Amino acid sequence: MKYSVEVMITKEEIAEKVSELGARINEKYKDSKELVLIALLRGSVIFMADLARELKLKNIRLDFMTVSSYGSSMTSSRDVKIKKDIEDSIRDKDVIIVEDLIDTGFTLSKVVEILKIRKPKSLSICTLLDKPARREADVKVEFSGFTIPDEFIVGYGIDYAEKHRELPYIGKVIIEKE
Amino acid sequence: MSKKPWDKGIVKVMFSEEEIAVRVKELGEEITRDFKDVEEDIVVVCLLKGSVIFMSDLCRTIKLPLVMDFMTISSYGNEFVSTKEVQIKKDLDESIMGKHVIVVEDIVDSGNTLKTVLKMLGNRGPKTVSLCTLLNKPSRREVEVEVQYVGFEIPDEFVLGYGLDYMQEYRNIPYVGVMGDLSKLED
Repeated sequence: MKYSVEVMITKEEIAEKVSELGARINEKYKDSKELVLIALLRGSVIFMADLARELKLKNIRLDFMTVSSYGSSMTSSRDVKIKKDIEDSIRDKDVIIVEDLIDTGFTLSKVVEILKIRKPKSLSICTLLDKPARREADVKVEFSGFTIPDEFIVGYGIDYAEKHRELPYIGKVIIEKE
Repeated sequence: MSKKPWDKGIVKVMFSEEEIAVRVKELGEEITRDFKDVEEDIVVVCLLKGSVIFMSDLCRTIKLPLVMDFMTISSYGNEFVSTKEVQIKKDLDESIMGKHVIVVEDIVDSGNTLKTVLKMLGNRGPKTVSLCTLLNKPSRREVEVEVQYVGFEIPDEFVLGYGLDYMQEYRNIPYVGVMGDLSKLED
C-alpha cells in the first residue's frame, strides 16, 4: 500500500493542549497525596512523557502496562490479556490512565475493570485523542485533548504497523490510489 | 533551593529543561547522520522506567523511520560482586534480528547491568547495537561499556528528574536536579 502522511495536528498545537490538560490535572488533584500515572505501552509513552512534566504536584509516580486484546474484532466479547503489569500497588492512590487514543474503548474499559479491583482511591482517564464515532464500550473520559473524526492517524506515539511513532506531530495517512 | 512541594529536597539544577532540549536535539541529529543510509530497520530500545522521558524526546529529534520497543530489567546481586545477575521482567515485543539497535539509557554509572543487557541483545543477532545515554558518570564505572552517544558527563552526584527517580518519585521533574541531604526530607 502506497501512502503519504499529512500533518493534522502540529507539535505546537499538541504542546498547548498537553499544557492545558496538565493545568486541569494540577487543579483537580491539588490535594492528592499520591498520584500514579499509568501509560499503556507502547502508544501512550510520548504523551505520558510530556504530560507528566506539566504536573506540579508532589508524589507523582509513573507506571506502565502492556495489554493485548484477543478474540476477533467481529465479536463484542473480546477479552484483554495483561502482558506486562504495573510494578507498584495502586491501593488507596489516585490513578490516571494515560492514553494516546480512544476509539472503540473496549480494551480500555477492561483495563479500568482490572484496575478498579485493586481499590485505588480514584481512577480517571486522560486521553490525547478521542474518536467518539467509533465508541462501542462505555468509558468515562475525564480529560480529553482533541476530539477527532474517524481518520487513519499516526505519530506522537501512534503507529501504523509499528512505524511513525517518532513523528513529533499527529499525521493523517493518505492512501494513494495505484 | 526550592520550597515548592513537587521538587522538595532538590538543592540545585544541574541541567535545565532548555539545556536538555538543546543537547537532545544534537544527539538526534548525530544519530540521524550516522544511520541515514542504512537499509535495515532501526529499533530504539528504551529501558523502563528511567529512560522513558529521554527516549520520548530523543525519538522525535531523529529524522528517520524508527521502531520503538521497551524492556524492563531487574538485577540481583550485592555491592561486593561486580557480576550482577540480570532478569528480564518485560522483554521486547519485536525481534531485533538483522536490525540496528539503539539502546537508550537515562544514566550509565557502574555499567554492570547494562553490560549484561547489551550482551543479551547482542546474542539475538542484530546488525549493530549502540548505546545512547543522557548522563554518564565515568567515575563510577566498574566494567567497560562502550557508549556511542553521551548527552552529558557528570560528577558522582545524586541526580534525579527527567525520568530519574528517588524512591519512584521525581521522574516527572522536567529538569535534571541534584538531591540534597536525604535526612532532611520530611514525610
